[in-house]
Amino acid sequence: MTARNPRNRTRTLTATAVAALLALTAACSSKAKDGGDDDKQSAGGVKTGQGISGKTIDLGVLTDMTGVYATLGKSVTQAQQLYVKQVNADGGICGYQLKLTVRDHGYDPQKAVAGYTELAPKVLGFTQFIGSPFVAAVKQRIDGQDKGLVLPQAWSAHLLGSPYVRVIGSTYDIETINAIDFLMKEKGLQKGDKLGHVYFEGDYGENALQGSKYMADKAGLTVVEQKIKPTDNDMTAQVAALKKAGVKGIVISAGPRQAASLVGVAAAAKLNVPVIGNNSAFAPQLLATQAGPALEKNYWVASPSLPIGADTAEAKKLVADYRKAYPKDSLDNGVVAGWTAASVFGEALKKACESKDLTREGVDKALLTLSSFDNGFGVDQDFSDPKAPSSHQSVILQPDKSAVGGMKVVRQPGEAEQAASYTPSAS
Amino acid sequence: MSDAVATQAEPAESRTAPAGSAKTLLTRRRTYVITACALLLLALPFYLDRFWLQAGLFAMAAAIGAIGLNLLTGATGQLSMGHAFFLAVGAYGYCVFAGERGQEINGLGLPPWLAAVLAVLVAGVAGGLFSPIAGRLKGAYLGIATLALIFIGQHVLFNAENLTGGANGRDVPAMSLFGLTFDESEITVANVPFGSAEKLWYLGLVLTLGCGLFARGVLRGRPGRAMNAIRDHRIAAGVLGVPVARYRGAVFVLSSMYAGLAGVLLALVFQRTVPDYFGITLSLEYLAMIVIGGLGSVAGAVVGAAFVSLLPQLLTRYSDALPLVSAPGTGGVAPGEASRYLYGAAVVAVVLFLPGGLVQLAARRARKHPQEDA
Repeated sequence: MTARNPRNRTRTLTATAVAALLALTAACSSKAKDGGDDDKQSAGGVKTGQGISGKTIDLGVLTDMTGVYATLGKSVTQAQQLYVKQVNADGGICGYQLKLTVRDHGYDPQKAVAGYTELAPKVLGFTQFIGSPFVAAVKQRIDGQDKGLVLPQAWSAHLLGSPYVRVIGSTYDIETINAIDFLMKEKGLQKGDKLGHVYFEGDYGENALQGSKYMADKAGLTVVEQKIKPTDNDMTAQVAALKKAGVKGIVISAGPRQAASLVGVAAAAKLNVPVIGNNSAFAPQLLATQAGPALEKNYWVASPSLPIGADTAEAKKLVADYRKAYPKDSLDNGVVAGWTAASVFGEALKKACESKDLTREGVDKALLTLSSFDNGFGVDQDFSDPKAPSSHQSVILQPDKSAVGGMKVVRQPGEAEQAASYTPSAS
Repeated sequence: MSDAVATQAEPAESRTAPAGSAKTLLTRRRTYVITACALLLLALPFYLDRFWLQAGLFAMAAAIGAIGLNLLTGATGQLSMGHAFFLAVGAYGYCVFAGERGQEINGLGLPPWLAAVLAVLVAGVAGGLFSPIAGRLKGAYLGIATLALIFIGQHVLFNAENLTGGANGRDVPAMSLFGLTFDESEITVANVPFGSAEKLWYLGLVLTLGCGLFARGVLRGRPGRAMNAIRDHRIAAGVLGVPVARYRGAVFVLSSMYAGLAGVLLALVFQRTVPDYFGITLSLEYLAMIVIGGLGSVAGAVVGAAFVSLLPQLLTRYSDALPLVSAPGTGGVAPGEASRYLYGAAVVAVVLFLPGGLVQLAARRARKHPQEDA
């Protein structure tokens, strides 16, 4: 018995300790529910909730500044920081100062999900979330419990349908329909012709392919598919295959490098057909490469809004301010995308302020009332239907070394008739 | 997470200690440290934010996978670059078995616990199919052969859309065990709301403990000695009567099953599986875990897993507060970059100064105080 006694004592001790801990837990854990509601009423009669403390509205940014979308992430984030700085300098929104908390996930799913988990309880919403697979990963939580507004920097139709995840501008499928419409109306692509489509494996490329297939069906074209991986940089094999198939036009839904290679190789191989890309398939840096002249001659880009070098007062002001704030960085369409997303969020906040409800629910509702929003980049955004993208329009741009941001407009914002009848299938 | 190692040590200790030494057990500081750590781990969900619990869960899943890899690479000397593939088999296997049949995605709709068991078995079978190769090749050659698995795996994950959901992945059905569902529905324990992370935390602890103990048993018994013999001298092991090829094949299967279980746990934490995750980088991370933690031991795998999976998350979280960091856009080092540099530096430092891994630290301490660990 003497040998067993100490063991018993250990057990008693352990049991006591556990009981004590549990008691403590209930008493002093900050996680314990205090029964009260989170919603507060501030002095001005504005209802506030999660994400607002004192006189600050916290907004989250989940970006990629060290991974595959580093250039895009940097431009978007800097543009949003610029927006916040200007809004705060003008006295903020509703008397509240905005504050961005930036988390760089480097396109790593684990870090992206961790970043969302960290920021979600603290912020009112997200002005940026790069990487549609990661948005999809936390979508259950956004829709189920968090219900904060999330503006992803991705244009895949997969993301449509949620009242909280709102895509700004036309999705890739609609953009592709508009791009092919441009090739048919202005570049001599005709019914019965073959159309090459080089696309990335993954939701960006595959969503674009849905668009080109739909358009081919409506307009009597045949699509010649060439699926590539983001790591494929040399498009020689694709050009050879497309030339053999006898295509009369090419759509590319890939990255800037692939577009440059495709256009350059096609010119060298005497495949003189027009090439058009989605908005992610161009970067101004390309114009300085050997492919530059070929790009200026035979490459177009479909974009959800006017380029950064647009001839509007707002665009010019943004260019001037951005240059002043970040003199070393290049101006690209990421700046426009980031600025637009931030101003959509800002506009929703202003509307929510008018109806005296700055809770997450209030902001979600306020965004639904934004049915015609234009911040100077040529396209009216309509956020009243969560199932549809905020616009069906695309602008066709052409690379031009002399233009600001390396792009000039060749066709004003417009919507192909086929795009109007097209309903994106969110799967 | 070294606490987890300590927790594992507890039952083994009490089993091996003769009845008369119960008193010495009580006088040892180690017993108290272990008890305290165990209590701490059990109490954490009552206090920590979801972020921390989630980070801990990632570390636990990584620990299970790393234990498996350490059996293969650390104890038997067989290099595998295909660990991420088996993680993917486990994660997607679970989704397929437990998922409901949808419009575009197939699923069998089995009970989640059965799906988890089947997913681990399928990972084992996948390892078994590879064992004719795994049994014959040694060391670095096996590494090259397993590299192929990653590429095949990635291709299948992206293209078998009715099983994997393609690039956007598929939702992971919540685990459900003895009537308790590990989803977001809140249950209140001692006035603290328990969501999925809190509930999964305990599941993760149990799984990690079980896996650790099992691996410890394997390593300390005859199979472990045979594995070490194969690692140190294959021919001598064969002369001693160890069936080398069979052992190599069997360890490969066991290690794939560990990876499969880690995959299931990861999927449950992520709530959605995405193919990008299961790439070559993940395999390399697992190799880094066991090298950093210490080759050939359970404790090494767990410590390494905690180090490798927690450090980047912590550095990202506190990236704003890191030294020498400037705000994005002002030139200089951005927070995200800084955290990567620091992570790299930490890895290099460990490998340079602690070639036996982080567990070497504990071993050094034990040598200094022999009375404690005698």
